[in-house]
Amino acid sequence: MSRLEHIRIPEPEKPLPGLTISSDQGLIQWLSSVDHKQIGIMYLWLSVLFILVGGIEILLVRIQLAVPNNHFLNPEVFNQLFTMHGTTMIFFVLAPAIFGFATYFVPLMIGANDMAFPRMNAFSFWCTLFGGLLLYFSYLAGGAPDAGWFNYAPLNQFSYSSSPGIDYYCSGLLLAGIGTVSASVNFIVTIFRLRVDGMGLKQMPVFVWMILINSFLILAAFPSLNAALVMLLLDRELHAHFFNPGNGGSALLWQHLFWLFGHPEVYILILPVFGIFSEVFPVFSRKPIFGYGFVVASGVAIALLAFGVWVHHMFATGLGNTVNNFFAASSLLIGVPTGVKIFNWLATMYGGSIRFSVAMLFAIAFLVEFTIGGLTGISFAIVPIDWQLTDTYYVVAHLHYVFIGGSLFGLISGIFYWYPKISGRMLSEKMGRWFFWLFVIGFNLTFLVQHALGAMGMPRRVYTYPDLPGWGILNMISSLGGGLMGIAVCLLVYMLFTSRKTGQIAGSDPWDANTLEWTTTSPPPLKNFNLVIPVRSTRPFRDWKRPDDTDWAREGVNNE
Amino acid sequence: MALLSHWHFDPLLILFVAALTVLYGFISRFRRPTNNWYFGSAVFFFLLATCSPLHFFGMHYYFSVYMVCHITLLLLCGPLLVMALPHKPSPFVTTRLKAFAASLSSHPWLLWFAGVGIMWFWHIPIVFDDSMGAMQSGFSIISSIHPLTMLAGGFLFSWPLFSPIENRQLHPLAGVLYLFTACISCSLLGLLITFAPAGTYHHYIGMANMPGRPWNISWQDDQQAAGLIMWVPCCFLYLTGCIYLLAHWFSAKSTNAGRRPETIKPLILHENGKK
Ligand SMILES: [Cu+2]
Repeated sequence: MSRLEHIRIPEPEKPLPGLTISSDQGLIQWLSSVDHKQIGIMYLWLSVLFILVGGIEILLVRIQLAVPNNHFLNPEVFNQLFTMHGTTMIFFVLAPAIFGFATYFVPLMIGANDMAFPRMNAFSFWCTLFGGLLLYFSYLAGGAPDAGWFNYAPLNQFSYSSSPGIDYYCSGLLLAGIGTVSASVNFIVTIFRLRVDGMGLKQMPVFVWMILINSFLILAAFPSLNAALVMLLLDRELHAHFFNPGNGGSALLWQHLFWLFGHPEVYILILPVFGIFSEVFPVFSRKPIFGYGFVVASGVAIALLAFGVWVHHMFATGLGNTVNNFFAASSLLIGVPTGVKIFNWLATMYGGSIRFSVAMLFAIAFLVEFTIGGLTGISFAIVPIDWQLTDTYYVVAHLHYVFIGGSLFGLISGIFYWYPKISGRMLSEKMGRWFFWLFVIGFNLTFLVQHALGAMGMPRRVYTYPDLPGWGILNMISSLGGGLMGIAVCLLVYMLFTSRKTGQIAGSDPWDANTLEWTTTSPPPLKNFNLVIPVRSTRPFRDWKRPDDTDWAREGVNNE
Repeated sequence: MALLSHWHFDPLLILFVAALTVLYGFISRFRRPTNNWYFGSAVFFFLLATCSPLHFFGMHYYFSVYMVCHITLLLLCGPLLVMALPHKPSPFVTTRLKAFAASLSSHPWLLWFAGVGIMWFWHIPIVFDDSMGAMQSGFSIISSIHPLTMLAGGFLFSWPLFSPIENRQLHPLAGVLYLFTACISCSLLGLLITFAPAGTYHHYIGMANMPGRPWNISWQDDQQAAGLIMWVPCCFLYLTGCIYLLAHWFSAKSTNAGRRPETIKPLILHENGKK
């Protein structure tokens, strides 16, 4: 204890530097920071860095696939690129972006000055970063992992993949997984213990609710992945036989363990985004969220259901009709709570005075794209359709409609909504619209046609294809769309960089928003709040700004 | 059609139901229609699971049907009985109920174990086969103990969730966690049965060639189906419980956890730039 007191952590004395590194202590202050806002920003930059890397990887893949019988890439490089693309985008783009927003905004939205465990917060971030670096170190160590992002046995065994890539996959994801679990613990304690007086659980912003639910989901799902990774490392490094059927192991066990994590992981990447939308829709429709209880309860239902359906990823593995039928039925049901949410958001917009800011545009586009992704997902619950389409580009199209049309659209919406708070400056709405249309058109060009390719039987993960009727032109459209998305992402990153200095000054509350984070300055001072406004509804800031028209008076939710 | 005539009324169980009805009448005096409705359904499901053709099928032909009976007792009858208890009974009953609640309230995890443990216990293959064998060979004491322990397990398990003494109830969110962890344990058991080697439960192999066995589903498929019923639909029952708890919680007219906002000082905004 006494020794610890002598360690001097450089702490900023002035208000936080926003997005610049030119603080009073320079870069070292960022590296040593335990402030939730700086850690949140670093998470977000991490995600920006990796979206560029993962994007370049997939553009190379799309160049290879643009024309039939292409030899731009050889099969080994192709395998590594799509594996790294998937792993990067899921574990080091979507997840850190979600954690970035959560780390930055959960304390602000509940009126706290930091997370419950600031140092563990930093630990979580650095684990994630080094996990990502470890994964990429594989390129230098003799070859990247090449068995796909879900890394099926027996392909993940030494005899099929003898480069150390998969060992780096295991250790990198394990490290990042530890960071993810510790961050979740931190969120749970923060949300339960540090809410400002007056904010009961039923007055919590929906985003905070979703992070809370998500954290429990992570605590329940990640042990399965982490255990599987350790077992695989034992297989590869110490010649254990967990996943090696030749020696009494089970290759299918990997799939069970992976999808027991993997299906909840889809929700881990979408629930927080539902939270973002549940902030964006009310603010830009100038209405309270429709059916707060329904939105929260359906979030809980989604989280619980996530553990009852993973076997639908294994319909083609020969588990038998009895097993398949049960999981087909349960998988058809998981659409229900998500459908409830979609209708809640529609009802929130209905009759509101809608402002079509870029954040709102992405939210509206999400409703369309995510519904497409949801419906194609439901189609997989029907076992014969699954058998026909599994491992084709139809699956690729489906999962990108969920991960991009769902998760990424939400995160971009969050960037446009919260960037003014983080940086103190606005992102240009005009350029934002350019970005929106480029990205949405590029996205649909890329993936809509892949449904058709999949239905025609084009297998995923094969490095080239014969010149069959229609395949060439559809793949060319898909690659051009990918290029368009690439240009759009570059435009976004350019905007993020330049607006730090040149954007219009935002002020503390540019959107006339509802929640506590907008009551402090932009960017917030080191200590978020000295005093917090009274919280009596889910829109405390609006109540404060319009004392004669408060939610709590209207709803009769009074505090005797 | 002959199959539907297999009603078997175990005198001990009928006696039990009669005693239960008298006891319930004494406690509630049948005053509140909703509670009576809960009680009526509990009795109905209990008889369905212990005396009806469903029970006969489960005993003699299909593990999966037996599993349905089992879940009915544990996850329908148990909670319904707790929910049937009146919220404002006579003072005499109130003190008894309060004493009962007090003795249970300090250890909700024990009640969790009661519910989950009963479920696991009766599915240990050797226990299962022996008890089924005993029950089949006529009116043995097992055939009454078996459903009664499951009913009791279900009752105790549901107590902290739906207890009539409101301040003894778990917080609804804690209730969700309580149900979710039980659901995991139930999935685990279901998963074990689903993927267990075919024939782990001997009882039904012998039954496969019984005359009058309907539907002709193989005993291998039947064992899987039984495990899957425990795994998937059973989880949906727990989930329904969670949704019920949340719905009640959100619809309750609540205050902000009893805090008075007058004590919260107003904010002084730090403005560094006006929009
Ligand atoms: Cu899934």
